[in-house]
Order: sequence, then structure tokens, then C-alpha cells
Amino acid sequence: MTVSTDQHKEGKKDVTFRVFRFNPQVDSKPYFDDYTIPVERGVTVLRSLNYIKEHIDGSVSFRAFCQAGICGSCGMRVNGLSQLACTTQVWDVLAKSREPGIIKVEPLRNLPLIKDLIVDMDPLVGKMVHYSNWIDSTMPEAEMGKKEFLISEEEFLRYDKATDCILCASCVSECSILRANKEYVSPAVLLKSYRMSVDSRDSMHEQRLAELVKDHGVWDCTHCYRCQESCVKSIPIMDAIHGLREDAIESRGMKDTSGSKHAEAFMTDIEKKGKLIEATLPIRTNGVVWTMQNLLPMAMKMIMKRRTPPPPPLVKSAKGIKIFRAMFREMTEHVKQDHKSHKK
Amino acid sequence: MKRYAYYLSCINESMTKEVDRSIELWQKDLGIELVKLHEGTCCGGSNLEYVSPKHFALVNGRNIALAEKMGLDLIVSCNTCLMTIRTAKKKLDESPELKREINEILKKEGLEYRGTSEVRHLLWVLVDDVGLDTIREKVKVPLKNYRIAPFYGCHILRPSTVLGHDNPVDPTSLDQLIEALGGQTIPYTHKNRCCGFHTLLVAEQESLNVAAEALQEAIESKADFIVTPCPLCHTSLDGYQAKALKNAGVEHSIPVFHISEMIGLALGYSAKELGIKRHIVC
Repeated sequence: MTVSTDQHKEGKKDVTFRVFRFNPQVDSKPYFDDYTIPVERGVTVLRSLNYIKEHIDGSVSFRAFCQAGICGSCGMRVNGLSQLACTTQVWDVLAKSREPGIIKVEPLRNLPLIKDLIVDMDPLVGKMVHYSNWIDSTMPEAEMGKKEFLISEEEFLRYDKATDCILCASCVSECSILRANKEYVSPAVLLKSYRMSVDSRDSMHEQRLAELVKDHGVWDCTHCYRCQESCVKSIPIMDAIHGLREDAIESRGMKDTSGSKHAEAFMTDIEKKGKLIEATLPIRTNGVVWTMQNLLPMAMKMIMKRRTPPPPPLVKSAKGIKIFRAMFREMTEHVKQDHKSHKK
Repeated sequence: MKRYAYYLSCINESMTKEVDRSIELWQKDLGIELVKLHEGTCCGGSNLEYVSPKHFALVNGRNIALAEKMGLDLIVSCNTCLMTIRTAKKKLDESPELKREINEILKKEGLEYRGTSEVRHLLWVLVDDVGLDTIREKVKVPLKNYRIAPFYGCHILRPSTVLGHDNPVDPTSLDQLIEALGGQTIPYTHKNRCCGFHTLLVAEQESLNVAAEALQEAIESKADFIVTPCPLCHTSLDGYQAKALKNAGVEHSIPVFHISEMIGLALGYSAKELGIKRHIVC
């Protein structure tokens, strides 16, 4: 399946697109088709796919609409990396291709496959519904249409970047935890949840947060930063996830979930010794029973190898801990003051 | 002899003591001296920054200020400590107000955060300062019969706005080090993936799946061992290996080395001296 140019003019190359194919109604397993076409400098992956569909094989299926990086429809994996086909330059990809002259195009990961490069977005939409990714106004219905909601610039800046999300699902495709468990909330939904939760017009803050702190929620993120790195709009998604965690701790306290207890341990230990007390971390996070059930066999092996962290009394404090502790506590006073003035 | 301030990571002082032990063995051989910062404190392990952003800035501004006082760069051998301290540095460098606030407190200890010291991973120092040619010259026992899977881990690569040394999609520094030591790197798609460490206590099953995938690829590629620049990745891939692989129904096992041990072996130190016998999988 080749449309080839006779000669390579400058700024024009023959490029092979190795396209993932699978039609569950016909095929027993997925396969790849190679299409070699002439591509000029400046042409995107999406334009190349359109060319293939128009001139070589009309059965190649993919989703696309705006062709300008706005609608988020054409998310796919180009040479293994989730991105938008319409904003990805063929020549840029070629420059980094492992196999010279070949670009591999595959569907997004972590979502069910419908056909070829098309994935089912319904599970993602379902999660957005589950985690109430919208605003339910605090304004009484009687006042609606009569009064304005004024948003300060300072407030808007907190979620300005999060509103850039076009739901392309590149982050969903790259997420490490979602790869391990499809029930995980997923980065795009955490980003939207954050965006709604910091909005002063929203009345569902508590309800949304209560759902987010449950299993498969905000505490299951493993900080791998793959979502943020792959975001086509360069949104700092981890800031939003951290923001939700900060919010959860502030609104619900630190004894709420294993995630918040785990986080609390860092704060407590640093103040106490300047060092993390690792030996008791599993117990402080999950309790004695969980620790015995889950970590005992490994603990035995670690004891044999003299690899166990020292018990708390034997953890040596950082040198000069007294003055460090005083400074740490001084900062605690600053934070208290901040909270007071914030509440005013 | 080039000198650096060396940050003591909590995990290297407790579970992975072999890291600092092996570095001490060979640092002079490679013409570097790492001066331990005993006054340094826990960085907050990628958690403190959302528990209390201001304490996070204070603690890590102080860690860097200690190195600045000595006029040295701060060298870190744990990926997460690296990412965490560099994140704090970026925040402080971008916010004069925050910098002023922490410096007001740091005065009590005679410290000041100025932003003059770089925060760098040991791997970067080896590749960029010591240099691959010097490393090649010093090798006594080339790792020439070994097929090695390079596992970079997340926090030496991402977020690239904070790390910025390697291309997070296709990193090369660890591959270069392996080759300089005479070893053979294998193509390893998990090289820039996650080890699952940070959720081992919170979402254990998910973390074990993440670790198992990385281990499985290395085993199937017939690697002799995995090497990582991060003691947290090491703990997930070595300490939790049996559990992760049992979970995934895989019967094999694979040793996991720290970069400091791999260097030690190539420079002629014994597995015993380097503390390799302390690993769960040997």
C-alpha cells in the first residue's frame, strides 16, 4: 500500500505510517498496516492520516474534527507517546523515530478500543459524572438571573490553567495507576475536580471531596508525573492533584484516609527528628493488622538481610535539630496567621 | 579532587545503606569528594509540598542554603529527593516574597537561601563532570558480559520543567554510564516508567502491578540485572519483587543494582564490600 514520489525533493520525504488496525467485528486480533506516502515539511500526522484514508485505504478509522488542537478528538499514540495527531508535525516525530522513516500510530491506552485508532470515551465521561465534575451554584434559585457572580482575578488564576483541558485523554492514556487498575479516577477527572472545587460559585465541594478520598481516588496517584508530561496543553496536572490533597487535609483532617495519614507522617517526623521514621510508617498509614497481614513475610526477609529501618528511638536526629525545630515551629505560626487572614 | 555537598536521603540511612557505603568506596577513584550534610533534613518525599507548601519551602530552602554556605553544589542520590528539592528551588527562585519569608527564619541559624548552588543527581555529576572518558579509563573489570536494563525512574526525568537533564521520553545518561563501564544496555520500554513506590502503602495492588510490569519486561528481555539511580525504585523492584511477581504469576526473579554498586563492581570492588549481599534478590 504505497504511494511513492519518484524523487526526493528537498522538504519532501516518503514516510511509512505503521497504523494499528483492529475491527472487533471481523478481526480475531489486532495487526498493523504500513502506508508509505510522500510527506512535505509542515504536514501533521492527522493530515497524513486523512491522506491515507482518502487515497489509499478508506477503512482506516480515527476520530478528528477541528484540526487545530482545540476539540481534543484526535488523541492517539504517535511513536508510543499520547498526543494530538493534528498538532504533531511528521518531521518532528521522524527526527526522533527509532526506526528511520517509520511512524507508528496506535490508539490511546487505558480506554476500551472501538475500532483502529478510536477508543471509547464513555468510561471517562462516567467518572466525570461520578465525581460531580460540574458546578452546582450556591446562588438561591430566586436570585438567579438577577444577580452577578463576581470572581476576583486572584481566584480565577487558581483554576485558569485547569480550564485549558480539552479532554483529549492523553493523560489518561499515560497514567501509571490507571494502567494497573481501570477503576482509578484518572488524571483528567482529578484536574476537573480541582477546577470545580476551587470555584467559589460551587456548592458541592464537600460532596465531591468525600468521593475523591475513597478508594481509587485522589490518594491513589503515585506522583509519576506522566500525565503532566504528556498534557497537550501543558497543564500542571500534578499541581491540581496536590491541590486536591491539600484541600482534603484542610477540610477533612489528617486522620481521614491512609493517604492523608501517610502524608501526615512526613510532617510529624520532620518536625521531630528532621528525618523520616520509616520503621513505623506502614503502621501509622494502615494500622497494625494491615501491616502484619501484608508486610510480615517481607519484614522477615529484611531482618535476615539486616535491611530493616531502625526502630524510632534509634533514628538519629539531624545535626542541629533544636534550632531546626524552632524554625519549623516558627513557620507553623506563619501558616496559622495565613489561615486567619485568609478566612477574614 | 572536585568537591560537592552530599545530601543524606532518609532511605539511604536506613533501608538502602549500601548506596552511601559504595559511593564512599569509589568516590576518590573518580576524582570527586562528597561532603556529607549531616545538618540536612528529610525533603518531605514529594508529600510535604501539599501538606504544607510553606514548610516545604523552608525545609528545602534550608537544605540548599547549607550547601550554599559551603560554596558547593548539592548532590543527591535519590530521585524523589532530587525532584522535591529542585521543585522547592524553582518555587523560591520564582517568588522573591517566599524567599524573603524563609530567609527571615533561616537567619536564626545564620543561613541564607540565595539560589547560587545547583541541585544535581549523582548520575548527572558522573556523566557531565567526571566524564565518560575518565570513567572508561578507570574501569578495571568491564561489565562486558552483562545485559543490563536501565531503569531511570520518574523523578530524575519528570516533571521536565523541574528536572530537565534527560529527555523524559528517551533518556540516555544511564545508558551512557552503563556503556562506559563496558556493559551492554538492552532496549527497555520501561526505562522511563514508574516503579510504583509512592503508593505501596496506599494502593498496594496497583503499585505491585506497576512494579511487576517493569520486572517482567526485564526478565523476558533476558537482562542479567536491572540498574537504577534511585533507592526508592530499588526498594520497590528488589524489596517488593517477590510479592509483585507472585501477584503477576511470574516465577523468575532478577537482581536490581544501584548505580553506585554497578560502578563499584566495574572499578574492581567486591560484591561484599559494596553491600550487594544486603539485597533481597541476590
